[in-house]
Amino acid sequence: MSDKFHTELNRLKQDTTEMAQFARDMLRESLDALFNQDTEKALQVYSRKKHIRDVTIALEDRTYQLIALYQPMAKDMRLIACTLKMITAAERIGRYGKDIADMVKDLKDQPDFPQRLPIPHMADLVLGMIDDVIVAYKTENLDPIKNFTPRDDTVDALWLSILREMLTFMMENPQTITRSAYYIMVARYLERSGDHACKMAENIHYMITGEWIEIE
Amino acid sequence: MTLEPIISTHNLNLWYNDTHALQSISMNISKNQVTALIGPSGCGKSTLLRCFNRLNDLIDCVKIRGEILLDNENIHASGTDVVMLRKKVGMVFQKPNPFPKSVYENVAYGPRVHGVKNKGELDSIVEQSLRDAALWDEVRDRLHDSALGLSGGQQQRLCIARTLAVEPKVILMDEPCSALDPIATAKIEKLIDALKQDYTVIIVTHNMQQAARVSNYTGFMYLGKLIEFGQTNQIFENPREDLTENYITGRFG
Repeated sequence: MSDKFHTELNRLKQDTTEMAQFARDMLRESLDALFNQDTEKALQVYSRKKHIRDVTIALEDRTYQLIALYQPMAKDMRLIACTLKMITAAERIGRYGKDIADMVKDLKDQPDFPQRLPIPHMADLVLGMIDDVIVAYKTENLDPIKNFTPRDDTVDALWLSILREMLTFMMENPQTITRSAYYIMVARYLERSGDHACKMAENIHYMITGEWIEIE
Repeated sequence: MTLEPIISTHNLNLWYNDTHALQSISMNISKNQVTALIGPSGCGKSTLLRCFNRLNDLIDCVKIRGEILLDNENIHASGTDVVMLRKKVGMVFQKPNPFPKSVYENVAYGPRVHGVKNKGELDSIVEQSLRDAALWDEVRDRLHDSALGLSGGQQQRLCIARTLAVEPKVILMDEPCSALDPIATAKIEKLIDALKQDYTVIIVTHNMQQAARVSNYTGFMYLGKLIEFGQTNQIFENPREDLTENYITGRFG
């Protein structure tokens, strides 16, 4: 197989890493906009939705072209398979960022909760997992993703805890219903993003070792 | 894990004069399966293939040590009838090599050599062999025309029919599609898949996609050694040896 293929493959991997980073930043900045009621920033994140869609299509297209032209095998095939999953998961994460950004304007005039919520902490955990996935993919190193099962368990526990807390707020004070309902969605998006990170970690494990693991 | 072996080699070594062309090859070829041998030019895969029906005997400077068992019998034992061995282990070569005779005579030649005289019986063998080689429908009306008038792909399937006519157990194929266009190649690949119902096929190919498509087991050879042998999907998805990985991903070869 030609060097051209491996050059193209490396470039695809590099661009996929950048795309995943872009999606990760959309989620991070949408959460910052939400926590700070920064509508300007939210609008700015929201406007990136076209870009992430375009990049997704372009990267997928390049991946299919490499398969069609070179029929990659072994490690190369596993990298391509993992890359396709990375692109899909990263786009999803970016779109959660877009959806969260879209909520900010609706919450502008809604009363805030007096007490601190665990959502920022949950966001840090999930974004940490996404960061580690990107590093593992980029460097082909398993270390950053080896403790994903307990990390995802924590994220799942936080999601349930936030859900219960929001239901309590809504019952206690109907004025908080709008914000609580939106926060339930935010927590759900974060929980799903954590699951996407786990799926990516499973695929990266397969890419590196050729063996499948299950992160439950 | 392999299924019931039809051919086994134990510590097989072969020299061309001082060149140690096969080095301690031990492997089992499973019955009714397709086994592919891959590797860069000069790695010994064709030499190994030619060991299975003792075609290397025809080369003066060859020395062979080790054991090859066909159905648990040593093919180098003193009482082995090489003609019978080659009947059991047929071969199809890289370039189609039909005899300059009619289609019918090409297929009937082998059975005749092995003593079939009855015309009805010969007709039936010719038809069945051409059917098994997926060629009958294309040549049924031109059985007595020259085989050299057939297309390359048809000639190669005729050579396969010629091999099938003597009812072999194993069919060796040395780059059987390298001289064929993609459509003729696809027909041969489909045929190989059908043949494994009744025969064991061992194929040498440079085309890794072809090895991946047609075979159940794959052996990767390099510089006279069998580096890795395993189920085809494992070899192409997750090879254990770095050399195999590097070869099939095109990093050398």
